[in-house]
Amino acid sequence: MEIAAAMATRSVAVSTGLCGQGSREVARAVGGGAIQSSSLLGMKSSRLLGVKLRAPTGGQVVAAGVSRVQCRVAVATPRVKDDLMAEAEERWYNALESPLEGVEFTYEEFADALSKYDFSFEIGDTVKGIVFKADYNGALIDIGAKAPAYLPLEEACIYKLKSVEEVGLVAGVEEEFSIIRDDDKNGRMILSMKKLQHDFSWERCRQLQMDDVTIRGKALSANRGGVVVDVEGLRGFVPFSQISARQNPEDVVDKELPLKFLEVDEERTRLVLSNRKAIAENHIAFGIGSVVVGTVQSVKPYGAFVDIGGVSGLLHISQISHDRLTSVETVLSPGDKLKVMILSQDKERSRISLSTKKLEPTPGDMLRNPALVYEKADEMAKTFRQRVAQAEAAARAEELRLQQEGGFGLRGDFGSTANALGLDLLDLADIPPAVQV
Amino acid sequence: MKQKSWDIHLEEMMEAGVHFGHQARKWNPKMTSYIFTERKGIHILNLTQTARFLSEACDLLANAASGGKQFLIVGTKYQAADLVASAATRARCHYVNKKWLGGMLTNWSTIETRLQRFRDLEDKENMGLLNQLPKKEAANLKRQLAQLRKNLGGIKYMTSLPDIVIIIDQQKEFTAIQECITLGIPTICLVDTDCNPDLTDIPIPANDDARASIRWILNKLTSAIREGRYNSMEIK
Repeated sequence: MEIAAAMATRSVAVSTGLCGQGSREVARAVGGGAIQSSSLLGMKSSRLLGVKLRAPTGGQVVAAGVSRVQCRVAVATPRVKDDLMAEAEERWYNALESPLEGVEFTYEEFADALSKYDFSFEIGDTVKGIVFKADYNGALIDIGAKAPAYLPLEEACIYKLKSVEEVGLVAGVEEEFSIIRDDDKNGRMILSMKKLQHDFSWERCRQLQMDDVTIRGKALSANRGGVVVDVEGLRGFVPFSQISARQNPEDVVDKELPLKFLEVDEERTRLVLSNRKAIAENHIAFGIGSVVVGTVQSVKPYGAFVDIGGVSGLLHISQISHDRLTSVETVLSPGDKLKVMILSQDKERSRISLSTKKLEPTPGDMLRNPALVYEKADEMAKTFRQRVAQAEAAARAEELRLQQEGGFGLRGDFGSTANALGLDLLDLADIPPAVQV
Repeated sequence: MKQKSWDIHLEEMMEAGVHFGHQARKWNPKMTSYIFTERKGIHILNLTQTARFLSEACDLLANAASGGKQFLIVGTKYQAADLVASAATRARCHYVNKKWLGGMLTNWSTIETRLQRFRDLEDKENMGLLNQLPKKEAANLKRQLAQLRKNLGGIKYMTSLPDIVIIIDQQKEFTAIQECITLGIPTICLVDTDCNPDLTDIPIPANDDARASIRWILNKLTSAIREGRYNSMEIK
């Protein structure tokens, strides 16, 4: 097999070799100045095979049909290179004539070893590669295949990038990539880091869901049903029902919201989050009757929305002051800071009712002197609480009396009400005893 | 000179992926004799012939080097650029690894003018004269210097035409090959399955795309050059 193959190569090589050789010899002979009849043969064979005819060194006309080479340098340089050229050609001829001389391995060894060194890269494989060139549109990476592979800019990262250097891909860095397309017209494979990052992000989301962590995500756009948010580089969805009722969905766009995971399903690429669930936690911090500083978010005909600690509560028009108000705008405008007292809160529907009425030292102060209200707010709140405590005590006394009388007393569960009002935290030590008026 | 063993091992070559050719439909039929077979739509080169041609090329280079000849390595592909620069500096040859300017060899007189300018500007910069000029002129000259360094940095010390030219990718460096043919300079060229082996004097059928392959072949050639130079020094 070896001999046959060698002979086959030899015959092909010799046929091309001779003609090639012939044309070169002819060219050099012609360069000497004499146009010989064999030049026609050389020209014809070269045209047959398409071999470029060596331009004569003298720059003279070879034969009709071949242009004169106008090259000053070719004319001017002394021809010491002829022997080098001759040696080169002689060596080339030798290599063709004796294909296995001096070669350490045989044809068969090569054929056998071929299967051992075959590389196979399939789409979806993860490969390690070394970056060796980064240009503005991507990076070239050496992965040990036939040709270097390409990582386009869009595939480098989930977020938008200006150049691959931002992800840390400079020459010499070794990273993991996954193959997304192979063998485009240059024989190059297209790689991607995005896919690996996607998998990573999904894993993180799963983890966060299990740990029930609240994260912040930026809302990108609103559509018919909810809001699309950006979380860990992935696109998640928050339905309208899950957005805290205080905010309009359209206002929410381009804002960061606290979110919790509802559903994390990678196979169906479903990522559903909830704003309300995250905010529900915050409410527990507020106790009824406590005073907080708030900023007016918006003013409506029926009252004002005041933002306290991230959630907004409603300050109803009737709760602003003892005096009657015709319009809210006269007293409050968006951006005003004021202290409000929490009347009640509804955790499930995330509603908080606020009041400044109770904080006025004298009725009507809110209209005349809002600053005074601000200062006295804490005092007033305390007084309010005392009055509430008194009322509670009175009610309980009444209840006991009713029970003693054996009637159908109010069978209310006062314990829970007391807790809801925050009474168990109250210190009743410095309150004068109730006196009969 | 007696043929010396250049340590061309099969395993090394296959590790480097020297035997892979380009896609089967993009071949040049003149490469039939150098192709072993086709696998998965890619041609495989016959490494026995590669080894043979490579050893002949190395001998030629060693001979020439001991005779004090000048060499030029041309490789402008992305993959090859820095490899060419490092190999050439190791072997003390000239190199072109950024764009091959048209007429670099055939229009040598003009290039010589540019090299002269390059030397002048460099001297000026070393002496610090550039900083004494007004800002705009200094900026202009520095930019010129940067451009010259980029394009002609490798042939800074070339005084006349090289004796042998080594070319990495024949398809890409077509201008270079044409110039060498015009001037009658012998060339050693890495031919892949889409190249024409008749254009060059000693073709070395090998993979010209993968960095490992280019690096391996350049190593062999430059070690041959160094060997030749060392021998010549010994003889002296």
